[in-house]
Amino acid sequence: MYQTLLQYLKRYDFSFLGSFFAIFLVGVLNLYSATHSQSHEGLDMLYRSQIIWWLLASVVAVVVSVVFNPKTFERVSYFAYGVTFFLLILVMVMGDVGMGAQRWLQLGPIRMQPSEFMKLGLAMALARYFARVQPEKELTFRDLLIPGIIAGVPAIMVILQPDLGTGMLLLLIFAMMIFYKRLKWRTIITLVVGALVAGVLMYNFGLREYQRKRIHTFIDPYADAKGSGYNAIQSEIAIGSGRLFGKGFKNSSQASLQYLPENHTDFVFAIFNEEHGFFGSVFLVVLYLIMFMRLIWLASSVQRFYDSVLVVGIMSIFFWHTFVNMSMVSGLMPIVGIPLPMMSYGGSAMLTYGVCIGMVTAISNSRNFFN
Amino acid sequence: MFGEEELVKVHKTRAGMIGNIVFAAFGLLLARLWYLQVYKGEQLHQFSIQNRLRKEVVWAPRGMIHSRDDQLLVDNIPRYDAILTPQYLLEKEVTLEKLHKILMLEPGSIEKLLKKNQNQATYRPITIKKNIGFEELAQIESLNAELPGVSVQTFISREYKDKEVGAHLLGYISEISQQQLPKFRKRDAMDYRLGDFIGQFGIEEQLDKFLRGANGHEFVEVDSRGRRKRYINTDNLFKGIEDEKPNQGMNVKLTIDRDMQMAGYAALEGKVGSIIAIDIESGEVLAMVSRPAFDPSQFSRGLTPEYWRSLITNTENPLRDRNIQEHYSPGSTFKAITGISAFEEGVIDENTEVFCNGNLRFGRKVYHCWKQAGHGATSITKAIRESCNVFFQRAAMKMSIDTIAKYANMFGLGKRTGISLPREVSGLIPTEAWKQKRYGQVWQPGETLSCAIGQSYVLASTIQMAQAYGAIANGGKIYRPYVVKDIYTPKGEFIKTFTPELLSDFKLKNEKTLKYVREGLFQVVNNPKGTAFARRGKGIMMAGKTGTSQVVRATADKVYQKCEQMDYDYRHHGVFVGFAPYDKPRIAAAALVEHGCHGSSAATPVVEAVVTAYMQKYHPESYLENLEKDKDIHAQWVKTLKAAAPAEE
Repeated sequence: MYQTLLQYLKRYDFSFLGSFFAIFLVGVLNLYSATHSQSHEGLDMLYRSQIIWWLLASVVAVVVSVVFNPKTFERVSYFAYGVTFFLLILVMVMGDVGMGAQRWLQLGPIRMQPSEFMKLGLAMALARYFARVQPEKELTFRDLLIPGIIAGVPAIMVILQPDLGTGMLLLLIFAMMIFYKRLKWRTIITLVVGALVAGVLMYNFGLREYQRKRIHTFIDPYADAKGSGYNAIQSEIAIGSGRLFGKGFKNSSQASLQYLPENHTDFVFAIFNEEHGFFGSVFLVVLYLIMFMRLIWLASSVQRFYDSVLVVGIMSIFFWHTFVNMSMVSGLMPIVGIPLPMMSYGGSAMLTYGVCIGMVTAISNSRNFFN
Repeated sequence: MFGEEELVKVHKTRAGMIGNIVFAAFGLLLARLWYLQVYKGEQLHQFSIQNRLRKEVVWAPRGMIHSRDDQLLVDNIPRYDAILTPQYLLEKEVTLEKLHKILMLEPGSIEKLLKKNQNQATYRPITIKKNIGFEELAQIESLNAELPGVSVQTFISREYKDKEVGAHLLGYISEISQQQLPKFRKRDAMDYRLGDFIGQFGIEEQLDKFLRGANGHEFVEVDSRGRRKRYINTDNLFKGIEDEKPNQGMNVKLTIDRDMQMAGYAALEGKVGSIIAIDIESGEVLAMVSRPAFDPSQFSRGLTPEYWRSLITNTENPLRDRNIQEHYSPGSTFKAITGISAFEEGVIDENTEVFCNGNLRFGRKVYHCWKQAGHGATSITKAIRESCNVFFQRAAMKMSIDTIAKYANMFGLGKRTGISLPREVSGLIPTEAWKQKRYGQVWQPGETLSCAIGQSYVLASTIQMAQAYGAIANGGKIYRPYVVKDIYTPKGEFIKTFTPELLSDFKLKNEKTLKYVREGLFQVVNNPKGTAFARRGKGIMMAGKTGTSQVVRATADKVYQKCEQMDYDYRHHGVFVGFAPYDKPRIAAAALVEHGCHGSSAATPVVEAVVTAYMQKYHPESYLENLEKDKDIHAQWVKTLKAAAPAEE
């Protein structure tokens, strides 16, 4: 009995699940620290609902990994994409306006953000397409037409919400997946050069004055410090003031003085850095790196090509979120609203991660079956 | 063709490259963090410790409120609070001792406050004394360096010049409470916070978005003890940060006349009740007073618990505006409407005479007239003049309640007047269908008799009665009552100007109807036999009707009991509604005095005072002319009385 259980557990990839769980633990503690002194009612209890969301996400992960097998994922790929796409349309028609953008969808008692689900839906649809249509072929321009539509239409819809950050993220996920599917180097270079030329032309002739100003703000936040520049500066002060070892748990002054906006969602990384310093951030970054490396390794060790592409897709969801969020908080990128996986507060995102983890685990376990 | 496993292998190179990309990305990120936390760490750390940029709200002054005669009713005055931020408190005992002395507080009281607030974050300031005087202010400011953590906060307080007068109309502002936060955030789509002030009653509530103005903000640099260092403008790091000046709220001019308010307030002294006066040719409300009242200034200064308790434990409910938020049985003042219905329906004409012997038997019930001996032969004018119940009940026997309700509705009763003030009640004019719906019972004919004299189910507010009598005076024009004339910017540009709104203009079929009803109303006040003759006033040529609103239905043995001998809570309310001057009506007014027993003695003087103030101020020639006429009328009546006296004996 004991032996069988051990045999069963051995199939699980603990380095991946371990890092995932560790990041979540750090995240909840950090969330507690970031919000314990908030004046807004309910915000100081946010870490509790985050735990509840995480428990829900874990249940989802277990169900997905135990009940389904990877072949099922492949079968339902387009269906999943279709459902999330339909939800996106619903948001456009009857969505709730929150924070100046139409992102939320209220269905009965459930309130959700379909653009979160779209990331996974997109990864699944692309994986199926690449696994079925000439899987051995290196991609050229012509082969990008249909995948481009699969990714481009929802991305544009999300950008129109308007949620520029999430829309760009969908495109980044798409980019990483076509790169994995062996997009030809010549095509890559043409694309990059074309994008640069188009960007310069857009900037000079296509953009309006205020849009240009936004770009200036990113390049030099100190020039417009009262607008979005104010957040950027406060965020940098928070990070920098942590120095090597940080100010200690619950000692963030920038957060408690409420200089940082949204310090329970997009700016959690700044609070973490202020309290735990450079060593703290190295620790956190390493945790994330373990997770990503393990996923990349998994992508090359599975038997089925669909599984491989899907794992790369899921990896890029996590990677781009993490990288974009950390970059914007530390001033490497302009501030767009992208949360940090497992660290920022957010229910829809948490559930999406739950499904992702479940899928990855199912794929990882099926691999060991044949050993 | 490749097998699946070969396919995966073929892509291994790209997987490796992706791994390199991930490494490179995080390498770049860690380099940036190194730059911020180690290379610039010391500098930024110093910055976060010593120099804190604080964004402070600069409150916008609320708009001012003027009366129609351009007198300032509501003003803003600065108010100072002493506040303490526990985070910055040093040498606690010494500081607190000094502070106790300066503010003349009981020793230990600040410690108590600190203890009470110990659960909240230490950077949040605690108010230790509200409304400090100039001397205290000067001491705190000059001892700034010795009192770390202590500072003075300036607020703009709302000052209501006439205190309680018109308090219900003007309303008050007060801090948003925890429970109200979500409601107001949703209503105005504004991110209110605790401590924000908002209009919560009357004009202050209704016009809040105009009066409020827009708060500004300024960036101040504070040191590690929370003391202001200097205003930001030189430091490179904060180059370009700009303050935003607040915008003062809009000013408001009311239709209300201050002198008439004062007169109404004084006339209600010692009474519980209300008075409202309306310009009948526009619907402008000229006076609107309800007593007991409250002092709105107390709310904006931060209500003391004692004052609040005194308000909510007062059984007379000073927070209620009795003009629009309360409805009563209109009593005999409703007889004018019954009379009009009967006339219009052809049930009576000017020659109809009814014999009143003091009571009326209907079915198994006996309906008493207020005059035990009866009024004898009674015509419509006499019935109104002497308020004969039997006359109107006999007329009502020949009509259905729905007919009476039709005319009552025409005169605006039974529905809200639509005055732009919060929480107006609608009153009630019953119909057969209404009773069926409300109680599931059939309408009893006897109930029509009670309703005909304004008792039973009939309910009306004073504003509705004033509007109805205004329509009797002006020949059927119903205007929406309004209290705001203009809204304008501090610079004097008009944002909104309110003009009369004619809601309906009906013509009665029989042109004699209003003539004889008005004649009756005139005699109520100006005929020695009229019920209000004793309180008729001088020089105003008023017409009107007294009424008694029964609080509990009088049982048979108590019908003729003296009202003054009853327990206070069981005494009738006194009502008077009228218009003036009779020959050229301009103003309609209604007053109600709770438990005042009689319309004539309790409510008539209130209306008379306000109407007199109006005539003296706005129509002085007419007032003087009418003073002369009064003498003539009086002399004439004395003569006819003398001539008639022997015959009556």
